[in-house]
Amino acid sequence: MEFWLSSSKNLPMANPDSKSTPLQNLGQWTHGELPANVCVGSNTLITAEYAFKRFKSREPAAIVLGAHCTMDGVHFAVGQKGRITIGDFCYFTNAVLLCEQELRFGNYVVIGWNTTIADSDFHPLSPAERIVDAVACSPLGQNTRRPSIACHPVVIEDDVWIGPNATILKGVTVGAGSWIEAGSLVTRDVPAGSRVLGNPAQIIGRANGKSEPLGLGS
Amino acid sequence: MTAERRIPDDWFPGVIPENVVLDPTAYLETTYSFQLFRSRHPTALAIGRGASIYLGVMFDLGCNAKVSIGDYVLMNGARIICDSEITIGDHCLISWNVVLMDTCRLPLDPRERRAELEQIPKRNPRQASAETPSQPIHIGPNVWIGFDSCVLPGVTIGRGAVVGARSVVTSDVPPFTVVAGNPARVIRQLLPNESAADTKTNWSNSPLET
Repeated sequence: MEFWLSSSKNLPMANPDSKSTPLQNLGQWTHGELPANVCVGSNTLITAEYAFKRFKSREPAAIVLGAHCTMDGVHFAVGQKGRITIGDFCYFTNAVLLCEQELRFGNYVVIGWNTTIADSDFHPLSPAERIVDAVACSPLGQNTRRPSIACHPVVIEDDVWIGPNATILKGVTVGAGSWIEAGSLVTRDVPAGSRVLGNPAQIIGRANGKSEPLGLGS
Repeated sequence: MTAERRIPDDWFPGVIPENVVLDPTAYLETTYSFQLFRSRHPTALAIGRGASIYLGVMFDLGCNAKVSIGDYVLMNGARIICDSEITIGDHCLISWNVVLMDTCRLPLDPRERRAELEQIPKRNPRQASAETPSQPIHIGPNVWIGFDSCVLPGVTIGRGAVVGARSVVTSDVPPFTVVAGNPARVIRQLLPNESAADTKTNWSNSPLET
């Protein structure tokens, strides 16, 4: 994998010999034509020049975005086998979506400023494999293969609100209607309707629509 | 006088300072990383074989600072704040937005801090003086530091350790452990020769209890 060194000039193009109908893009990217394997619903807007700077997926439907979504300043950092599915009426601001396998978002999902959502750890945990990985990622390792990395898909269900500076790590499912407070680092599944805070994230209550203040000692 | 060293295709029109020892096999993405570099130490910064220093890495070095970066180190956007010494061992993986700071740059005592803040606007450039005590940071070989983490002054991270994303490391990290959280606590022990298969079977993300 070329890691961070490629540019958006290397975006995969549609295969002209393909017999299937090309994906229709009804929405818009403010900085040009969407990559061929990105399918965007009507009235959806993607901003930011860097949106596809680290997009390297070769999957036929690498990103499927619903209608009436706003992807404002979102980084779609997708590896060669990555796939992202996003429902309708989602609003993401300055989120970093790191996908090596799969990220799935439901409808009406809100993601706040500087959030990171990743379906892998990007590097191996085993110390000996990490040495191999460091060499493979270096300028001297261009022809060596990186060790395989564990990937576990992330699922964010309908009506979830994720606050600014939050982090969702691999394999997490956030149940419908949950409220992830700012700065949370979520490593484990969140049951539907939970209110979650902290690093590591803990359940602090129900997401019942009442906003109680989070004072010290409360 | 030695010729100025520049980086081909650099988006920023800067030079590599003379007291930076850069291995020919290392990759340095931009000279913008030296915008806050003020060290006058003869070997202020040494970058090892096969290392890669990407855009976003900032070397905020005070005038006596010394930083050494080992072989095959991958630095993907870390901010190094150094007034004394920071060493990074071979094969380290340092993710984006990581802060390695050996000093707080401003006094902890409010009265002293006020006095310093009143002096700063009189200086050009407007910087805090390097009189706040600094404690070196030593990061062993084969350490992996997750994104958005902070390593505070005086910390030593043992070889093979892993610092989870968004951690704040306030005290020494034993070798071959995984630490995470704010403040960082040991959450797992690794074996040096642990195979990838062992590592995978030990992972689970059981749901949070309500």
